[in-house]
Amino acid sequence: MSNAVTAAPVATAPKGFSVGKYLSFQLSKEEYGIAILKVREIIGMVDVTPLPRTPDFVRGVINLRGRIIPVIDLRRKFGMAPTEFTNETCVVVVDVGKDNDTTFRVGCIVDTVSEVLTIGAEHFEATPRCANAAGDYIAGLAKLKDRVLILLDIERVIGDLDPAILGQGG
Amino acid sequence: MASGIEGLGGLVVRLQREGRAAAGDAVVQMRQVEAEALAASLDPLARLCRVAAETIAQLAEAEATWQPQAQAVVEHVGRLVDFAGKCAAAVADGADITGIVPPALFTVPDVEEAKHFAETVGMFVSHAIGAVAELEEEALAVESSEKPAETIAGIRRTVHTLKAEFGVLNMTAPQTLCHQAETTIDATVEHGQPFPVDVMLQCVDLLKQFLDRLTRDVQASCGDVEPMLARLRAIAAAAVEAAQDAGTSVRLQVGGEFADSLNEFITEARAHLTDAEAAMVALSSEPDNAENINLTFRAFHTIKGVAGFLNLTPLVELAHVAETLLDGARSQRLSFTPEDIDLVLAAGDMIQQMIHSLEGQKGPLQRDWKRLIGALQAAAGRSSGPVAAKAEVAAPAAVAVASDPATPAPVAIAAPAAGSATTAGDQGVELPRPERVAGGAKAAAEPAGEDHKAARVERTIKVSTTRLDMLVDMVGELVIAQSMVLQDPAIQRLDSQSLTRNIGQVGKITRDLQEAAMSLRMVTVKATFQKMARLVRDVAGKAGKKVALAIAGEETELDRNVVEQISDPLVHMIRNAIDHGVETPDERRGKGKNPEGHLSLSAYHQGGSIVIEIKDDGRGLDKARIVRKAVEKELLPANSDPAAMSDAEVFNLVFLPGFSTAEKVTDLSGRGVGMDVVRRNIEALRGKIEIDSRLGHGTTFRLRLPLTLAIIDGMVVRVGGNRYVVPTLSIEQSFRPAAADVHALVDRGECVRVRGNVLPVYRLKEIFGQTDGFDDLAQGILIVVEIDGVRSCLFVDEILGQQQVVIKSLGMSRDRLAGLSGGAIMTDGRVALILDVGTLVESALAS
Repeated sequence: MSNAVTAAPVATAPKGFSVGKYLSFQLSKEEYGIAILKVREIIGMVDVTPLPRTPDFVRGVINLRGRIIPVIDLRRKFGMAPTEFTNETCVVVVDVGKDNDTTFRVGCIVDTVSEVLTIGAEHFEATPRCANAAGDYIAGLAKLKDRVLILLDIERVIGDLDPAILGQGG
Repeated sequence: MASGIEGLGGLVVRLQREGRAAAGDAVVQMRQVEAEALAASLDPLARLCRVAAETIAQLAEAEATWQPQAQAVVEHVGRLVDFAGKCAAAVADGADITGIVPPALFTVPDVEEAKHFAETVGMFVSHAIGAVAELEEEALAVESSEKPAETIAGIRRTVHTLKAEFGVLNMTAPQTLCHQAETTIDATVEHGQPFPVDVMLQCVDLLKQFLDRLTRDVQASCGDVEPMLARLRAIAAAAVEAAQDAGTSVRLQVGGEFADSLNEFITEARAHLTDAEAAMVALSSEPDNAENINLTFRAFHTIKGVAGFLNLTPLVELAHVAETLLDGARSQRLSFTPEDIDLVLAAGDMIQQMIHSLEGQKGPLQRDWKRLIGALQAAAGRSSGPVAAKAEVAAPAAVAVASDPATPAPVAIAAPAAGSATTAGDQGVELPRPERVAGGAKAAAEPAGEDHKAARVERTIKVSTTRLDMLVDMVGELVIAQSMVLQDPAIQRLDSQSLTRNIGQVGKITRDLQEAAMSLRMVTVKATFQKMARLVRDVAGKAGKKVALAIAGEETELDRNVVEQISDPLVHMIRNAIDHGVETPDERRGKGKNPEGHLSLSAYHQGGSIVIEIKDDGRGLDKARIVRKAVEKELLPANSDPAAMSDAEVFNLVFLPGFSTAEKVTDLSGRGVGMDVVRRNIEALRGKIEIDSRLGHGTTFRLRLPLTLAIIDGMVVRVGGNRYVVPTLSIEQSFRPAAADVHALVDRGECVRVRGNVLPVYRLKEIFGQTDGFDDLAQGILIVVEIDGVRSCLFVDEILGQQQVVIKSLGMSRDRLAGLSGGAIMTDGRVALILDVGTLVESALAS
């Protein structure tokens, strides 16, 4: 009984979604969104040093102004067909982590970034059940006038990066 | 009659299971047995049954009266059944039943009263259970509470209420218990003792059990509360006693207006104490050097001065008596004994503890403090006869000047004291200096020499390490950016002499800047070494050995982090050296050695790293014994021959975990206690440890440490399109293998012969799963690396060069990617991975 009560709101507003500004970017043909508060900066594609013995979606590490951060390829992460990097290819640098002590800065390679959108509760729609590899990482959908934005729960996308690396490396 | 009695057996079970519901049947059955008993002339049984039937019927009128008695009913019926059975058996045997003792009659004195009492108790119990639960919660919260005083007050209120209620119900035992608990709480609060959480919880448990019993039986007793009472009384007594004994910590508090000065005071006082400690330790080896006493005196005097300014009375008092004692020695009024040195050192330790307590840690106990002050006063008070003749120096007056500057003192006497006070004051503290006035011109003239000395003290400011690290990081980036500019093709195309010159100039400044930034993190090992001097003195004293310590190179600078982390390994090694290495004076005499052992602790630069050396002239390591021990512990194959093993191989055994324990247990002469910990610490600093030892002549431990943790010397190598940095520290040599020297072993990979040794070959390309890079060994280069005495070869395509790199985290929350210790940003701005040879070889072996 009590379970049902607490479970109900989760179904409509899953963890990871909050009303506010989202950065939209392209991946394959779809448009995705990341909560802007998680985004630290956007940089052009740079030389990536591959990191041996890590899952293939981990492209490697880059030098972000003197700080070394890992970069992941969201296309690979979501099992999409690989493409060549273009001038449009960007690295979205995000800060994830529960608190400031364990912030984890990661770059995400995306096809191109589009704009910053304000998503209100009225736009939000729960994720339909989909068998997509990205399904686990989707916080929900935002229905805009002419298109649909897939909102990523970036915490979860990055969240399983670390154990994955340790699992393979150790 | 048998039928009725047989039925009784089932009745007990039913009463137990069904309770009041079975009461009606019980009454009927009792009546039946009564009739049968009468028929058989078993009068006692008949009477028992009648009374039981009546009582049960009365009790069964209401649940409230039944419930508290339910258990008693079952028990009584049980006894009755037992008795009835015995009677029946006796009758069957034709025996007399007078020999069988009947159970007591089952009566409830006044069921109405019982009913009322039960109702009252029921109400009370339900309330009390809540109160006790609350009590438990509060008692548990005391330790974590932000406002413990309020929580304790709450506990006290709860206990008090419980006490009153137990009183109303005439339950004396729990009432007394609550009363004593209340008293104890008051005592602990009043005397500032910690709240006795454990005992409180025991009380709670006792009350809980009692209340639990009460719910089933209103007559239940509380049991024996005396042991608990005794415990509570003991705590109250201890609290009172502790207060009388002043067992509380010395309380130090600094008013808000001085809070800013406090940090400065703490830093300064620590520095002074370190100096004083060093001087005192030095004094024990060179007792004639008056400067040691002077220095210590000044240190305590300065501390006293500033502590007085900050109103830290206990600290002032302690510093004052220590100062008085030192002044007595200084003015030769009394001769300074080794015991005095101990006292002064103890005073220094106590002040350290007080300073700790200022920082919020646990301070020293009042009792110890008082005792120490007493001892110091006693020591200062004694005057040794002949020396006292020099009383015209008028030391007491000097003391008066030092402690109470307002006291007018004769000019001639005031001068030296004023001199020292002035020096102390110049070291950063503004003291009121009426002495100058009192001393007049002479006072001003005399201390000139000492003033000069004080002026040499370097001016320092304190900077947080975070800011410092930030600066070092930014300078590192600057260096990279500078070289990127330099190597930019556009710049290189420009043919301008002035540009080349200017870029060269920028490069030079950048390098200087980097060096300067790095040097900010460097501190001398002096403080650590001084701590060791103290340790040697203490450990040697405890072990009953005589050890002289020689310190060299204490001005050598190391990265602050390294210095912090070598302290523990040093303590281990020095303790070992004295405990196991240096023999007892008698043993040494027997061997024709100086009865006093020698230990030297030195630091020096050697080839880009810092070496810290601990050398003793004790027993030395016994190779044969170590090997035997290792074989026993199955760390070596049974047929190991000590003669065939190199010194390094044998000595490295003492670092094996498990080996040390064996040594300790069997009390073998060698070293090894905690040596695995030492090695792990040193390796965590990317250092190395070497042992040199000659049996009977002593042992030398050499710690080879990097200058800094942030930078390593590395060999940059290329494998396919990737660059890696191999720490130079682990590289022995590199060479291009001849095809004839390479052997492929079945299932065991490849080996190569290097100067007569056969070493395994690991291909970086394969370990890291790269697709590019050479396959033919003859095309590339083999690098011989050594970790823990094990050598192996890494195969790379090419060596690009050697350079210093700044180690950076790879940005994973946990950095330990097997085989990698981090990343380095190369001059072209790209990242190269730094190899961790130890885990790399391990993981290669595992796969």
